[in-house]
Amino acid sequence: MEGQLEYLFAGFAVFWAGLLVYLVWLQARLRALQAEVRRLEERLAEEVPVAEATAATRSASAARVAPEGGA
Amino acid sequence: MTATWAILEKDLRLLWRQRTGWVSAGAFAAMTVITFSFAFDLATADVRPLLPGVLWVTFLFAGVIASSHSFSEEQEQGTFDALLLAPAPRSALYAGKALANLVGLLAIEAFVLVLGSVLFNVPLLVPRLLLVTVVGTVGYVGLATLLSTLGAVRSRAVLLPVLTLPLLVPLLIAAVRATGEALSGAPDGAPWLLLLAVFSFWSAVGAALLFPLVVEQ
Amino acid sequence: MSWLVGQASRIYAFRWVTLPPLVGVGMFALIAASLVVAPRESVEGEVQRVFYIHFPSALTAYGALFVVFVSSIALLWTKDMRWDAIARAAAGVGVLFTAFTLGTGAIWGRPTWGVYWTWDARLTSTLILLLLYGGYLLARNLADPTDEQAARYGAVFAIFAFADIPVINMSVRWWRTLHPQPMVVGSDGPAMPLEMVAVMMIGLVGVGLLATWLIVLRSETELLGVRTQALRARLDRRMGV
Repeated sequence: MEGQLEYLFAGFAVFWAGLLVYLVWLQARLRALQAEVRRLEERLAEEVPVAEATAATRSASAARVAPEGGA
Repeated sequence: MTATWAILEKDLRLLWRQRTGWVSAGAFAAMTVITFSFAFDLATADVRPLLPGVLWVTFLFAGVIASSHSFSEEQEQGTFDALLLAPAPRSALYAGKALANLVGLLAIEAFVLVLGSVLFNVPLLVPRLLLVTVVGTVGYVGLATLLSTLGAVRSRAVLLPVLTLPLLVPLLIAAVRATGEALSGAPDGAPWLLLLAVFSFWSAVGAALLFPLVVEQ
Repeated sequence: MSWLVGQASRIYAFRWVTLPPLVGVGMFALIAASLVVAPRESVEGEVQRVFYIHFPSALTAYGALFVVFVSSIALLWTKDMRWDAIARAAAGVGVLFTAFTLGTGAIWGRPTWGVYWTWDARLTSTLILLLLYGGYLLARNLADPTDEQAARYGAVFAIFAFADIPVINMSVRWWRTLHPQPMVVGSDGPAMPLEMVAVMMIGLVGVGLLATWLIVLRSETELLGVRTQALRARLDRRMGV
């Protein structure tokens, strides 16, 4: 009966440790993705003048990209 | 209807043309049975309790290898896109391929059963066992053909069995038990052949219904 | 119908205000109730308190897998890729809670049955569940998240997998109980005292809220991943690749 507390502790530990690891992993992924979205959006904003210049001379495919800007 | 028949004919012809692949799968099946007989030392003991497991594991592995490339050649050559545009029901595309896989896998299984009869000195070509094999293979091929539409992802060859085998757990249990019944002649206590038939029927019907949704462009 | 959707989206807008505190309260209540309030089980002793995490985890896992099933159908129906993000998120959470169920169960099993694992019907079918949805996650993660064909393949697999669950449970039960074997997990045994039922309910609500929060969090992460892919593709096109 004495050893039972250890198993109780282990059972709870599996749950809480697993949850903690999952949350830390999810948080890290969320942060990385947010950072990447910000970086990509900045780069897109920088590229716009160049793209606009080429779009004028190029086919409709480049022009079709432009209205998506707000998404 | 003529379009459906044309597709069935095309798949059977392809089955014949790609016979080297099926022969390789058959060789793999033979090698599996022989490996099992080394691993379990089957020649000495009473093999009957082990045989159902040996047979079905062999069938499943050979089948997953043989059917995994059902559509890949046609997809690579662009035939598949053309077929999707053809005025034939999409389910016919599935049915043709499933039928070809069924014929090919049944041929391999017949070969394994003959080989097993010789190697283990147990008559395996008995009507009841053949019935179990055919019914189980219908369900197995039904699901495996649907799942073989998995596109060109990384480690596809390993991923397919990982996806297919857990879905087939009921089929494997039922088939092994029904095969055991057929071999020993003693009833096992549960309607395994019925479970096998119901599972096979629903897998085949469900796969035929869902196939058009998977291949839609 | 549109009124319902409107109400649902209004509730959803408050997810970051309401969910985290609710989950916090739920988790605190779960710990307090299971460790302090619940009476000591007379036969199994203190270790029985693992049940208040084990059982809600199992039910929550099934709930999450049901969400996968529903959103897979919705994906095939509406062709809206956001359903795929929800399906992937719910599958991840479902696998996590199935793993919790197996982990806490094994630890509980050791002192009560003497073994961590036995090929009992219920244990076996839970393990197959883990393999089934682990495979689903693997397949979805190996494919591009914006690949609609891969998403439909995943959805069809998930529908088959969910429909397969009762058949797996039935076949495994027939398979095991026909063997002469001591029953380790009997029927639920004698009726539980009322306090235990109350604590169990707290556990169900708490863990259910936790899973909801995790699914929401994970869905938004998956959607962000899809958005990153779309941005990357646009940047590539701009660069004139």
